[in-house]
Amino acid sequence: MALPTDQGAAANVSDPVKRHPVEFTADAGEYFRIWIVNLALTIVTLGIYSAWAKVRKRRYFYGHTRVDGESFEYRANPIAILKGRLIAVAAIAVFYAVGYFAPLYQALLWIPLAILGPWLLVRSLAFNAYNTAYRNVRFRFEGTYKACLKVVLVYGWLVFTGILYPYLKHRLIRFAAENHCYGTTRFEIADFKKPFIAAYANAYGLGFVLIAAVMGLAIWVKSPFAIGLIYIGLFLLFGYIRARTTNAIWNAVRIGPLSFESSLRARDLIWLYLSNLLAIAFTLGLATPWAQVRAMRYRASKTTAIASGPLDGFAEGQAQQVSAAGEEVAELFDIDIAL
Amino acid sequence: MIEFEAAYYDGRTSASKRVRVRGYTLAIQIIGDGLRLDVPLGKVRVDPPVGSTRRALHLPDGAQLQTDDHRAVEALFPRAHALEGWVHALERRWLYALAAIAFVAAFAWWSVVDGLPRAAKIVAGFVPTTVEVNLGEQSLGFFERNLCGPSTLDAARQQALQQRFARLTAGLADGYAYRLLPRACRGIGANAFALPGGTVVMTDALVKLARNDDQISAVLAHEIGHVRHRHGLRMALQAAGLAALATAVFGDATSITSLATTLPTALLQSGYSREAEAEADDYAFQRLREIGLSPKAFAEIMLLLEKARQKTSGGGPKDYFSTHPATAKRIERALAAP
Repeated sequence: MALPTDQGAAANVSDPVKRHPVEFTADAGEYFRIWIVNLALTIVTLGIYSAWAKVRKRRYFYGHTRVDGESFEYRANPIAILKGRLIAVAAIAVFYAVGYFAPLYQALLWIPLAILGPWLLVRSLAFNAYNTAYRNVRFRFEGTYKACLKVVLVYGWLVFTGILYPYLKHRLIRFAAENHCYGTTRFEIADFKKPFIAAYANAYGLGFVLIAAVMGLAIWVKSPFAIGLIYIGLFLLFGYIRARTTNAIWNAVRIGPLSFESSLRARDLIWLYLSNLLAIAFTLGLATPWAQVRAMRYRASKTTAIASGPLDGFAEGQAQQVSAAGEEVAELFDIDIAL
Repeated sequence: MIEFEAAYYDGRTSASKRVRVRGYTLAIQIIGDGLRLDVPLGKVRVDPPVGSTRRALHLPDGAQLQTDDHRAVEALFPRAHALEGWVHALERRWLYALAAIAFVAAFAWWSVVDGLPRAAKIVAGFVPTTVEVNLGEQSLGFFERNLCGPSTLDAARQQALQQRFARLTAGLADGYAYRLLPRACRGIGANAFALPGGTVVMTDALVKLARNDDQISAVLAHEIGHVRHRHGLRMALQAAGLAALATAVFGDATSITSLATTLPTALLQSGYSREAEAEADDYAFQRLREIGLSPKAFAEIMLLLEKARQKTSGGGPKDYFSTHPATAKRIERALAAP
């Protein structure tokens, strides 16, 4: 692991390629205390404190994620998040109230939500990018609502075909990645369609085999057992897709002189998720912070930043402050594109 | 004077510079390779402390200092963040963490046992019956598609049962359109279900199990009790509340952990609670009396149902999650009913 001070010397020798493994230095015990204390305070304040809790938890995670010995920063203002949450809660209350009192009109509410969806997505990405910094340089998201709506309108119908859904997802991730900047340096993303779609295709294929096998087996074993097998199977596929698609994306991303190597393994991830799930279920949720730290540590351990030049040449850009409403509403409706 | 090591960023690029920072009463002095900067303390904004996370000091014009010397930062800005400084102190001690666990556990227990049922009852008061009818139709669709077919009882027998049901529901004037659906269902044995909105499904197996029709009336009265107390809607609201609470607690986690939180939720919500059953029982006793029948019929059919259940499951672990626990106690109550 190179220390930051080595850099000046290294830069002189015509910039040899340097590998910076991503480090995650969080301590599960310390994070548990932060988590439980903030949870208790959230309850005591009837949820108002949840905005501070979110910021504290994120700051802990970001702060302990390090590349080249330098840590990330989460800079969101809790007050902004609180305002966003109030708007989000009001929005979801209207949505469900209409559902209860006039179920016929709730279907109509999906139309503004579909139009609003891309807006929420763009605002949420912008908020998170704006509030993330590394080496005192902020990230930014420059994607516009118009561009996002275009992607959704052109490829959105693929959702209904089911089997072509991965293509839509790939377009959306491409949109998200391309429009991020680190300071003034725009992210580039090479073509990752092939490995990305292949991950889904393999998973779909395996899924069919699995269902056929379970149906065959169901003749001999009781049905709850067969349903259990299906769930475990879904778990396997989920882990597989996660590992392969994350690798596909990150191996294609470039930020100026930086590229990445992501080598998540499906079987590791499946075991990680499964053991986390069991730990959380058996501790009635108390293992959640440990599970989160563990998942992040694994992810970091399999990610390396490869620098073909010095990391101190990124320039800070002009960034527009973004309100948190989009991020919070998007979170409630589970609208999210994870890179 | 306080002195510490830090990394300095000028706010224009990602370049970091090793510096020494000297803190005085009114200003800090930053000294590094080709750099000498004095910044008044009032112009420095320091982030609240979070665990062992590296501290950032924001300087004018977007410049920044980062340091792991927590003690020096605390000494320089002793009163920077009253609220979060206090939270930080709580987060550092296991003792407070344990107290927080106890508090959260107590709250979770209270909300499941008392808070959510109470809230659901209040909210249910605002929900019109049309919503319940919708809810009932959806569950009925599930039964019809997956488990049940038309009853195999002959027309005269069905007619007699419908008349009994009509007598039980006559003059209730509670806004529900009651109807009885006799059905032949697979795999659920002798049973009856009240769906929200007034539909009662009764299996042929139950009709065959009963020794006389008063016993069937007793079961039907109990199901009508569920409808009148709006138990279906209340359980649905409780489940939604629990899910919302679980998301609030475990939110910010990965999608897979949310899967883990639905697991206990499902266990907690298997069927009506004991309290709901007792409410429906009480209604049944009262209603049976009103139409001139004895609550003893309820005790009799409960006994028969319990015997049938023990025969099929052999009293195995399935009883543990049974939706009708403590049958003996319910029988006792029926026998003691005024």
